[in-house]
Amino acid sequence: MRPLILLCVVTGAGLVYLMSQASANTALFTRNYPALLGLGGLLSVGLMVLIGYQLLVLKRKLRERVFGSKLTLRLMVVFALMALVPGSLVYAISFQFLQRSIESWFDVRMDKALEGGLNLARNSLDNSLNELGRKAENMAQALASAQASEPATLDRLREQFAVDEATLFSQRGKVIAFAGAEATSLQPEFPLAGVIRQVRAQQPVRSVELIPDRGLFLRVITPVNVLTIAEDIRILQLLQRVPAAIAQDARVVDQGWRDYQELTLARVGLKRIFGLTLTLAMLLTLFSAIALAFLLSERLSAPLSALAESTRAIAKGDYSRLNPVRSRDEFGVLTQSFNTMTRQIADATEAMERNQQQLENAKTYLESILSNLTSGVLTFDERYYLRTVNATAYEILGIPAGAFHGLKLPDWTTHVATVTPFAEIVMGQFASAANRQWEQQLEYRRHDGARTLLIRGTRLATRGDTGYVVVFDDITHLAQAQRDAAWGEVARRLAHEIKNPLTPIQLSAERLQHKLLQKLPESDADVLKRATGTIVNQVTALKGMVDDFSLYARASRMAAAQVSLNDLVREVLVLYESMGVPIEPRLGENLPQVAADPALLRQVLHNLIQNAIDALAGAEKPRIVVTSALAAGGIRLSVRDNGSGIADTVFGRIFEPYVTTKPKGTGLGLAIVKKIIDEHHGQILVENLKPHGAHVSIVLPLREAA
Amino acid sequence: MELSDEGYRLDAEFDIQLSPGLEEAVNRGVPLHFIVEFELSKPRWYWFDEKPVQLTRAYRISYTPLLRQYRLSSGSAYQNFTRFDDVVRALSRVRGWPVAEKGAIRSEGGYQAAIRMRLDTAQLPKPFQLNAVASRDWNLASDWYRWTVHP
Repeated sequence: MRPLILLCVVTGAGLVYLMSQASANTALFTRNYPALLGLGGLLSVGLMVLIGYQLLVLKRKLRERVFGSKLTLRLMVVFALMALVPGSLVYAISFQFLQRSIESWFDVRMDKALEGGLNLARNSLDNSLNELGRKAENMAQALASAQASEPATLDRLREQFAVDEATLFSQRGKVIAFAGAEATSLQPEFPLAGVIRQVRAQQPVRSVELIPDRGLFLRVITPVNVLTIAEDIRILQLLQRVPAAIAQDARVVDQGWRDYQELTLARVGLKRIFGLTLTLAMLLTLFSAIALAFLLSERLSAPLSALAESTRAIAKGDYSRLNPVRSRDEFGVLTQSFNTMTRQIADATEAMERNQQQLENAKTYLESILSNLTSGVLTFDERYYLRTVNATAYEILGIPAGAFHGLKLPDWTTHVATVTPFAEIVMGQFASAANRQWEQQLEYRRHDGARTLLIRGTRLATRGDTGYVVVFDDITHLAQAQRDAAWGEVARRLAHEIKNPLTPIQLSAERLQHKLLQKLPESDADVLKRATGTIVNQVTALKGMVDDFSLYARASRMAAAQVSLNDLVREVLVLYESMGVPIEPRLGENLPQVAADPALLRQVLHNLIQNAIDALAGAEKPRIVVTSALAAGGIRLSVRDNGSGIADTVFGRIFEPYVTTKPKGTGLGLAIVKKIIDEHHGQILVENLKPHGAHVSIVLPLREAA
Repeated sequence: MELSDEGYRLDAEFDIQLSPGLEEAVNRGVPLHFIVEFELSKPRWYWFDEKPVQLTRAYRISYTPLLRQYRLSSGSAYQNFTRFDDVVRALSRVRGWPVAEKGAIRSEGGYQAAIRMRLDTAQLPKPFQLNAVASRDWNLASDWYRWTVHP
């Protein structure tokens, strides 16, 4: 594009120069002038097409909102105006001036003067011609009457009349006599045949002639009339050179008139030529200027475009793009400043990203701490909207993860009804607590049972960021353990304290019976026997009870061995065959052995079956099913009965000691079972069956967990 | 065209209609140059046509206002006329133009001869040249008149 424009501009300049030269009347260009004009017109059209193309390109850029295109347009318009307005003004003035000046060459006075001059010259010549004509007539008369020889007479007459050249022709145009004043005019000038014919008809011919190489001559041809019919008519021709000064002047006048007339005629053409030249030069200049304006404005706006591109790159986060500083002007300075700014932004962004990364890390760290915390953590803003919650909180509260995300604490209860006491406590504490920290224990009823929660709340008031933090723990196990430990201690001591006097009581009672039975009369002896019997029996019962206590309270001393569960079950079941309750074993085959203490396991089985039998008291079609099977995580052993089931009132605390519904029972049975299974790292599940009955299921791990 | 002792001589007559503009130009002293072109050619299939004869003859019509004379000149020869019609008539007649040597035409097949007359606009003063480009009035040229010449 640029070379093309430059080429056009240079060609245009050359063309304008050539045209101005051609206008200055040099012969070389005269011939080529139309071609020059055509070329100029072609070049103008070419430039126009170029400008149109540039405009199109610019328009497309504008439509695509290319940065800098508006500036280009603006600069272009300014440049074009700067070229157009003065150019048009100069053009208009020049054109007007041209027309006027050409017109001013012509006026009526000039015309008249030249015409007058010409007429003057003509009259002068005519006068001379008339004079020569008179001379010719006189000479002709003299010749007609002359007696002497014709050449001599002619010569004499010529000198007498002061004529330059005199020739006498015969009727047929042959020279009879010739007399000339000049040495050079030895050859007579012949008149044309037509002229001779005319003269023969008695019509003298007078003319002024321009004879090449000889000058302006007056020619008079006149007949030499005869006196007698017998003679032939002769013809006299006189040639008289017009005096050089007059001839010169006449020629000048003639030339002047001709030039003037030519100019008059050429006026339109001249105007056209000058106008065309001027217009073409103007067009070429203008178009060149506009085309160059394009280049210039593009060049001016180029650094802006580069800056814009860099800006866009920065917006996209690419700070690597630095513009080379090409010029030393303000654009250069601007570019440099921009580069500096880019570098600073890059540094700042890097620092920011580093900080962000650190923050992110800190946050991740905090979150990982929160999620690994065994306590549930909730944070609220000042309007009780949930801000942070960890997975443990959901787990402890027994609700699906993410259920309360972005919810207000008061709205929780409408979503999950079970959290109502929790929410109420938290709200109440925060609302009422004058102190910033509080602590409260809550019996939280979850879908899988009651849990003891320890809730601690803190009101945040650091740096205006108010809010609430609630931390809560599931201390069910802790409370259980504490309770268990306390009971164990009680049981151990009680057993110890009670067991010690029991043996002396029993021995004393037996001794009383032994010693006094024979000495007492029959009736007394009977009373004694019954009394001591009762004592002994009750003491034995008391002993059993105490043994249970001590069994529960004793420290765990598990002696694990590889046990075949099925063998163990069969062994135990044999003992219950005579109890009157049918027990159906459904034992899975090929079960692997479990690592367990067989004595403890026997205890478990005894307790479970005894419970079942107790529950079946008074039931119709009593039935117990003992099942063993392979299950996920180990071997499942379950005991099922169709008895009365477990009362709702104690269901939640069924594994706690001294919780029982049986009329006589220590309430230690299931507690011991639970303890043993815990020691084996197994699981135990108790459930009531529909319509009635209970089901206790134990899963023992195959290999004892380390 | 006829063969004489000196060679071939050409007589031709053109029908010249000078436009009023041209006549006015002559009357105002602008000389008009006319060119009569003559050529003999023989087509050749393998190369450009053979052109043994290519001749031009220049005529000039001028007006001397001082003498009120029209002059038809060709080379050094000239003729004066007092009337414009006469000079045009004289111009339109070409008499005895020796166009070819006696032996110039040898070929059996005969030659194509062509002649035309045109106004030499290149010799016009510059302002009129533009007219000549622009206007038909100023662009006077006869068509080629072609005929076949046998030796």
